[in-house]
Amino acid sequence: MAGKAALFLVLGFSIIFLTIGKNFGGLSTRAVDNLTDYYTETVAHDIAVSGANMAANKVFLDPTWTAGYHDVSYANGNLNVTVNVVDAFKNIRQINSVGSFNGVTSNVSVTLQPSKFSKFAYYSISEGGTIYWITGDTVWGPFHTQDYLRVSGNPVFWGKATTKRKLIKNPSSSQPKFYGGFEKGVDLPLPTDGLTPIENAADAGGHKFTGQDTVYLTFAVDSLKIKYSYSGPTTTVLTSAYAPNGVIFAKDAVVRLQGIVKGQYSVVASGSTKGKIYLDDNIVYNTDPRVDPTSEDMLGIIAKNEIFITDNAANNDDINIHGSIYSESKGFGAEHYSTRPISGEINLLGGIVQNTRQAVGTFSGSSINHGFSKRYRYDERLMFSSPPMYPGTGSFEIVSWLE
Amino acid sequence: MGFSDILDLAGSMLIGGLIMLILFRMNDAAVENVYNNGGELSLQQNLAVTAQVLEEDFRKIGYCATWKKIIDPSKSILLADSNKIKFITDVDKDGSGPDGIVDTLLYALGPASELAQTPNPRDRFLYRIVNNETPKGVNLGVTQFKLVYFDALGDTINFPITVPSEVYTIEINLTVENTSGYNEQYSSAFWRQIRLVARNLRNR
Repeated sequence: MAGKAALFLVLGFSIIFLTIGKNFGGLSTRAVDNLTDYYTETVAHDIAVSGANMAANKVFLDPTWTAGYHDVSYANGNLNVTVNVVDAFKNIRQINSVGSFNGVTSNVSVTLQPSKFSKFAYYSISEGGTIYWITGDTVWGPFHTQDYLRVSGNPVFWGKATTKRKLIKNPSSSQPKFYGGFEKGVDLPLPTDGLTPIENAADAGGHKFTGQDTVYLTFAVDSLKIKYSYSGPTTTVLTSAYAPNGVIFAKDAVVRLQGIVKGQYSVVASGSTKGKIYLDDNIVYNTDPRVDPTSEDMLGIIAKNEIFITDNAANNDDINIHGSIYSESKGFGAEHYSTRPISGEINLLGGIVQNTRQAVGTFSGSSINHGFSKRYRYDERLMFSSPPMYPGTGSFEIVSWLE
Repeated sequence: MGFSDILDLAGSMLIGGLIMLILFRMNDAAVENVYNNGGELSLQQNLAVTAQVLEEDFRKIGYCATWKKIIDPSKSILLADSNKIKFITDVDKDGSGPDGIVDTLLYALGPASELAQTPNPRDRFLYRIVNNETPKGVNLGVTQFKLVYFDALGDTINFPITVPSEVYTIEINLTVENTSGYNEQYSSAFWRQIRLVARNLRNR
């Protein structure tokens, strides 16, 4: 009897211990499952991000690349990447990357669009010697230079700032404010024939001036006044009919520009020695996008060589410029900047893309001796829109990243 | 009843008593272990879920399915504090994915006094508020939600942060504890994302 009782006792305890042990083991296993699940999802996600980065790099190097990756083994998992053209007209592409690891999948979707130089609030190949960005200087949108980015004090860069070379602080205690991020080693040269595609577009559906030394263009809201000498006869045309695709191209000529722009246009001056644009007076939008954000007015002021603010009476008391300025071989500056009278402010709404930084005046301390002081504001619409046929960088930029 | 019977009885009572004591002690230990292990499991689950939700949301800072609606994604962070952050994003409201409508999302840690009824004196609500909706709290035992921000040069940004668009990367620290513990012994688990990069903050 006692032997049976002992046996039941042992069996009973064994069952109890086994049950409790199983429960504890289950709890531990489930606790570890949380960790492994998180780890699995993290690895799958990292694989998907890696696939997206690899594909984005391929697209940057070869804008025609759409092959994608299929069943590539990566980090003990698998990745599949497709590249789709989601908008053929605007050439917008989407990279879809799927990472798989231990049965878990993760998706990353990246949208890219062709990158235009017009997105920059400020761009230069050369900063014109050792010009520093100093305390009080503010760049309101994306910034890039192929030169050193030299800062002294605390200049502010609201958009993403990039440089091909490096950041130089003088003094070393300088603290530039990069509110939109900073990256060095970004090589983004200007094209040497960026005006050729625009000329082709002018031939296809815009207007091209040929055989003229100088073309005077005055935008008058819906119309455009044209003449070929200062005192010559003026022809007035309906701008939208005159240049349906928005490209107004003066081949081997100097353009003298002013007026009120309604619609989207690019005014271009080409030529190895001419190819200049003079701003004879204000050139502004009919609807200021700062007042009405739905404004669709947009202007590209594009020249092979310099773009100058003319030294004349009209410009001796401020000048207002709305548009994105592009000078492929030279830069944007003020004519006779070191001898002209004190001329007030340059109120620019748009951006400056130039080969070499130019002067707009001279100063002593905080006082202007000649020329202009600068009031440059970025037109934020340029982040995703551009004037017609504005030169592109030749590559894509990421406009949206979903993960 | 002879002496030996009395001895048998006393001996069996002694042994039975010892077995009872062992059983009571074992029961107590089993209850404690079940409590602690169960709490540990729930703790791990709370931490993993919270971390996944945080990562999911923070990675979407500045994202909108209709991307042109956010003109400059680098300015997507509206408020950045040590235990509070507000940003614009495109929240998946019904499980069908982002709807292309720009939303604001606020993460904030509530005061410990809000959860005075729980045994753990340190747990707080971690609020996730979409578009200024009425806050709804779920007690996941969060005791620490600490954010550290870094600028484009990798330097720590000091508080108060007056220009949130300066934020380039974020360090997220999250500590979760049991809301109640055996003998007031609370287990805790810690998760840290050292540098979370929301790619839309610098994508243009």
